[in-house]
Amino acid sequence: MAAYIVRRLWQIVPTMLGVILLIFFLFNVVGGDPSYLLAGKISNPETIANIRKQLGIDEPYYVQLWIFIKQVVTFDFGQSWSTNEYVSSIFASRLPASLMIGIPLLIVEAIIAILIALGVAYVRGSLTDRAVMVSCTVAQSVSILVYIIVFQYVLAYKFGLFPVQGWGNGFFENLFKYASLPILIALVVSLAPNIRLYRTFLLDEINQDYVRTARAKGLTENRVMLVHVLRNAAIPIITNLMIQLPGLLVGLFLIERFFSIPGIGREVILSVERSDFPVIKAITVYVALATMLANLAADLLYKAVDPRVELK
Amino acid sequence: MDLFPTFRTQGGLGRCGAAILCALSVLVVGCGDRSPKSAQQAPSDAAVSSAVSPVQADGKKVLRIPFVVAETGFDPANVHDLYSSIVVEGIFDTLLTYDYLAEPAKVVPKITTEMPLAEDGGKVYTVKLKKGVYFSPHPVFGDKKRELVARDITYSIMRHYDDSIKPVWRFLIEGKIVGLDDWYAANKKAGKIDWDAKIPGIEEIDSHTIRFKLTKPDVNFNYVLAHPAMSIVAREVIEKFPNDAQANPVGTSAYYLKEWVRGQKIVLEKNPNFRGGTWDFKPSGKDPYDEVLVKQMQGKPLAQIDRVEIYPIEEEQSRWLAFKNKQLDLVNIPGNFAPQALPGGNLAPDLVAQGIRLQKMVDPEYTYLYFQWNDAVWGGAEPHKVALRRAVAHAINRDEEINVIRKGQAIRAEFIVPKGVAGHKEDFATNHTYNPPLANALLDKFGYKRGADGYRSTPDGKPLVFKITRQATAIDREFDELYKKNLDVIGIRFGTETEKFADSLKRQKRCQVTIRGSAWIADYPDGDNFTQLLYGKNIGESNDACYKSEAYDKLYEQSRSLPDGPERDKIYLEMQKQFEADTPWVMGVTRLRNQAIYPWVLGYKKHPVLLSEWMYMDINTGKGK
Repeated sequence: MAAYIVRRLWQIVPTMLGVILLIFFLFNVVGGDPSYLLAGKISNPETIANIRKQLGIDEPYYVQLWIFIKQVVTFDFGQSWSTNEYVSSIFASRLPASLMIGIPLLIVEAIIAILIALGVAYVRGSLTDRAVMVSCTVAQSVSILVYIIVFQYVLAYKFGLFPVQGWGNGFFENLFKYASLPILIALVVSLAPNIRLYRTFLLDEINQDYVRTARAKGLTENRVMLVHVLRNAAIPIITNLMIQLPGLLVGLFLIERFFSIPGIGREVILSVERSDFPVIKAITVYVALATMLANLAADLLYKAVDPRVELK
Repeated sequence: MDLFPTFRTQGGLGRCGAAILCALSVLVVGCGDRSPKSAQQAPSDAAVSSAVSPVQADGKKVLRIPFVVAETGFDPANVHDLYSSIVVEGIFDTLLTYDYLAEPAKVVPKITTEMPLAEDGGKVYTVKLKKGVYFSPHPVFGDKKRELVARDITYSIMRHYDDSIKPVWRFLIEGKIVGLDDWYAANKKAGKIDWDAKIPGIEEIDSHTIRFKLTKPDVNFNYVLAHPAMSIVAREVIEKFPNDAQANPVGTSAYYLKEWVRGQKIVLEKNPNFRGGTWDFKPSGKDPYDEVLVKQMQGKPLAQIDRVEIYPIEEEQSRWLAFKNKQLDLVNIPGNFAPQALPGGNLAPDLVAQGIRLQKMVDPEYTYLYFQWNDAVWGGAEPHKVALRRAVAHAINRDEEINVIRKGQAIRAEFIVPKGVAGHKEDFATNHTYNPPLANALLDKFGYKRGADGYRSTPDGKPLVFKITRQATAIDREFDELYKKNLDVIGIRFGTETEKFADSLKRQKRCQVTIRGSAWIADYPDGDNFTQLLYGKNIGESNDACYKSEAYDKLYEQSRSLPDGPERDKIYLEMQKQFEADTPWVMGVTRLRNQAIYPWVLGYKKHPVLLSEWMYMDINTGKGK
């Protein structure tokens, strides 16, 4: 197991090098020259040249690339080009807000989606099953923007059930007051596709011989569904959950923007608008790293869930 | 609990399905106004007349306002966005400022005892500082009150020459002050900045008197001294935070930065060392509401508001709903909500019932569509190219832009100096009227022949395409539709070139963009700030079209030596004629600002140039002060 983990961690190095090259290429080819944005309303070539020098983008490409690699290795991405804030400080101050939305969402969404999927898989082919599937298809077809606009208007403004927007200073104030509606919206948006997906995973198992055998042995339906079926469907479900984990780092762009949540997703949008490369590259590198670590964690979980799985 | 009963539900809704459908039905049905809150949002007239702020934390007067875009930081020399400049103006003092009510905007002393004394035809300005102007408390000053002195002004100006902070406002003083550019050159040569140097053109006569010697007469120098970029900082604070002056603003004005959660909340509180002063302004005579403001505020000490809370809220719906929910005290009505909030141009009855006041103002700005002067098809002074640009100017229907795209919240820009700016000609009507038949006649006359498909070619037979460089935003697409429709009428093919904003700026500076929409808002309320946009020597800087006309340049240079007045107005009119003759731009619109203000906000009037009016405002808490 340890050798497997070491080997997988070692594989991160070449992958990360590829990510670095890709980011560097994209920024220099399609990223836009930030010096023109930072130069203000009236600038001359001398001002532009000075800004380029201060940002270090007047250096040869190989020097810039080497600096980037050093930043990735040391996890020190320097300061934002537009605000001078340290990138580490940006993550430290913005990530908690994104996680406050993302973590409860992931947990609640997984529980509800799995339970509903179990339910409809159990009554597959029934009117309930069909009604839920149609509802999910309809719900999936609606843009997240519509959910945000309608929920914000109806639930927050008209009914006054939640604040229209904003963010406080206390953990519980934020979780129960400000994060509730954003979580609810994200939940509504993400439930539909996941219910459909998990239902498919469960249906694959429900028709297996071992399920019939379990029933023939006289096991209760609860035990059949919650222990045998769910456990065997767990691997693809875990894969799906793990895929969603790195998304916690980037937050929910639109939701954070509409509800004025000082999260990392909102920061990503601002950084792209401002061509703030230090922030963009830090976020990209962290997400890439998180994706690789989440994949590794998923593989290890497979083994925990199903001892037959062999890690090679 | 038995979640999975041994019988299977066939043909009926199970509990799970019912729950989901129920939730969806709430989504669909729950959009009606069944809110008990909605009744509270329309209080009686009596309630409105005595309306008090809903927020009175610790008995303090709190003003809550939104920003449309997140701020970046508060170093006056480095701030490159409008919203950060608003905060800068609230924290720092400039030598001069603007009269709160005067129309047109008038420069007045802020921390000087009187207006600077101009000598030698406007080459020398002597400034006398008020005594007792103190920086807000900060650990770097210890327990002592730190007074603002002449050296602080010299240092603050010198900072615009510190390349390491990427200064963006150097152009305001570059080449203007004797010895400043030489000092910069010497620093560059030495590889370090001599902050203790004496600048010949900034003479510190004593601790409270400073004399500026300019390289040539400049009638607009007072505007420079009133610009937020010329805010005065304390050297010891800047040196304490060499890498992050943006996050550590310490000034002498009415407020100091109490709390800053970047991109989410900026809290300013009253500077305990603020020098004070009395609200003493006269009505402009042009706006009847000035009388109300004077009645509300005259004689009150300045800075009645104890705390200003600023919330960056990018999305229009969020901003508007936050205002309607009384989370904000005033808001610039978002464009998409203008039809709902301003039916027929007046405030909606439900808003009026809450005592909300509407303040309409014309921003000192305009938009324009420029043609690249060096372009082989669209640029240059040859008659057929001039005719082509004029034809476009006659073809574009700006009224449709105003009514459809701007939702009625703009007026046509006619003159090269916009409304509200010194030098504007009020009754001027441009020759560039909407007149498609004239546009067609011009094109026919100058050999732009129509092909079988109805579209024209150039006189030498090449395809003629109006290819505009723009981003891919929603409003850009609306303009695409308008331009295509208008240009189809005169047989000019429409095309687009999508590009990132930064790339457009880069190519624009290099005179490589053929056609693009742009806008300019006043840095200072003088016509010079706008007429310079077409000056030949500003190519590569602010002359987007790279327009070069000897006649225009000569007139511009004449205008620069004159103060605002009939003589300069006459020259501006000549410049306008030259501009219309050459048509390097198609003039666009001037946008309107519609401020909705709750009744407990007193003394507020959006100033056309000042960015933060907080020190002149008050909040009705119902308790007096």
